[in-house]
Amino acid sequence: MNRIILKLIPLILCVCVMLVGCGGDYVDTGSKAPLNDPSSAYSSTSTDIDNIPKFDGETPFVVLNGNIPDFRDEDLVTESYEYYDELDELGRCTTVIACVGKDIMPTEERGNIGQVKPTGWHTVKYKNVDGKYLYNRCHLIGFQLTGENVNDRNLITGTRYLNVEGMLPFENMIADYVKETENHVLYRVTPIFEGNNLLASGVQLEAKSVEDNGDGVMFNVYAYNVQPGVIINYKTGESALDEKTEQNKENSDTEYVLNTGSKKIHLPNCSGVKSMSEKNKKVTNKLKSELIKEGYSTCNMCNP
Amino acid sequence: MRIIVCIDDNGGMMFNNRRVSSDKVVTERIIDLLKDNNLYLNQYSAKLFADKTDNLKISDDFLSKAGDNDYCFVENVDITEHISDISQVIIYYWNRKYPSDFKFQKEAAVSGLKCVSVSEFGGNSHEKITEEVYE
Repeated sequence: MNRIILKLIPLILCVCVMLVGCGGDYVDTGSKAPLNDPSSAYSSTSTDIDNIPKFDGETPFVVLNGNIPDFRDEDLVTESYEYYDELDELGRCTTVIACVGKDIMPTEERGNIGQVKPTGWHTVKYKNVDGKYLYNRCHLIGFQLTGENVNDRNLITGTRYLNVEGMLPFENMIADYVKETENHVLYRVTPIFEGNNLLASGVQLEAKSVEDNGDGVMFNVYAYNVQPGVIINYKTGESALDEKTEQNKENSDTEYVLNTGSKKIHLPNCSGVKSMSEKNKKVTNKLKSELIKEGYSTCNMCNP
Repeated sequence: MRIIVCIDDNGGMMFNNRRVSSDKVVTERIIDLLKDNNLYLNQYSAKLFADKTDNLKISDDFLSKAGDNDYCFVENVDITEHISDISQVIIYYWNRKYPSDFKFQKEAAVSGLKCVSVSEFGGNSHEKITEEVYE
């Protein structure tokens, strides 16, 4: 079943929380409690993931509902708080919400978070990924906003692309607005899992600045948990290089000079070719990815 | 005309009809830059400078009204029709990446101009802001 009702899980959890009397991970850093129970900020309206267009290969997010977040007026309070709801029965993050104010922003550098293994986690590297590692431990509410670091309710397995291109720009926008104006921004992040998948398909980000009623910051977007050039199995988080995409990037007309002795790939104008023994020299139009499969590696000088 | 813009790493100026960022230090720097000159801008941008200077000329069509040596603060307007009138471009870089759906046409704006100065300074909410001037 592809249809997923967003926020249904957190809503159910909230009801359970009310029934059993134990809440999510609520952090009240101010002198007073917020005006409303933050868990009530989950709305009951739904978004259909089938209506979200497929990733177009270039744009890291799409706008939802005309960029209007699904907050109620009474959720917009002028006291800072953060609330991280419980993991679901599969150990997956649900919804996190914060009223971000300058008073809860971090004053120290971020610490190590390597001990947290969110669902779908794999330590895997690809040459075509910025920083090489496919997955980052993605803070749902960015560290720069609330200083929340090692909290498994706030960390999902996210691609480098999601982290840096999809989420960080929105976090930057909130952080700099709050620092500049000393106003508050209500910010909710909801990871979207299809069925029992361990890896989120994407993340919904909603924000509205409080004191100016959204004049400064307002958005409602869905950021894709994808990595261009890498195929991902969202059930498990396993992945593989998208050979088709990578091969398309390569120009099949590119000519390489191989050193069959050192097993190096050179460009024809590389100085290493001039000093290469004729018996080890071989010219080819094969794709670089194919040559690498055959055991060749690229020359460090000409970097083909 | 002389145009002034503030942009992020991707040339972004606006997202969802809101400026991607602002900084008091930049606002004050622009006011200092004006000296006795006027700053042409629209109603949306004028809020940034409210009560800080009397030298504002506010109009939805400010790019058409500005003279050769007047400064124009551009945030949410297309400059395409006015490219040939631009004699100076002052760009403030936030040195941050924000979401954006409206970008500055830098290549067209500085076409035929040369970068005559680059300087950096700290902002109120931005660690490092870069100013580039093209003439």
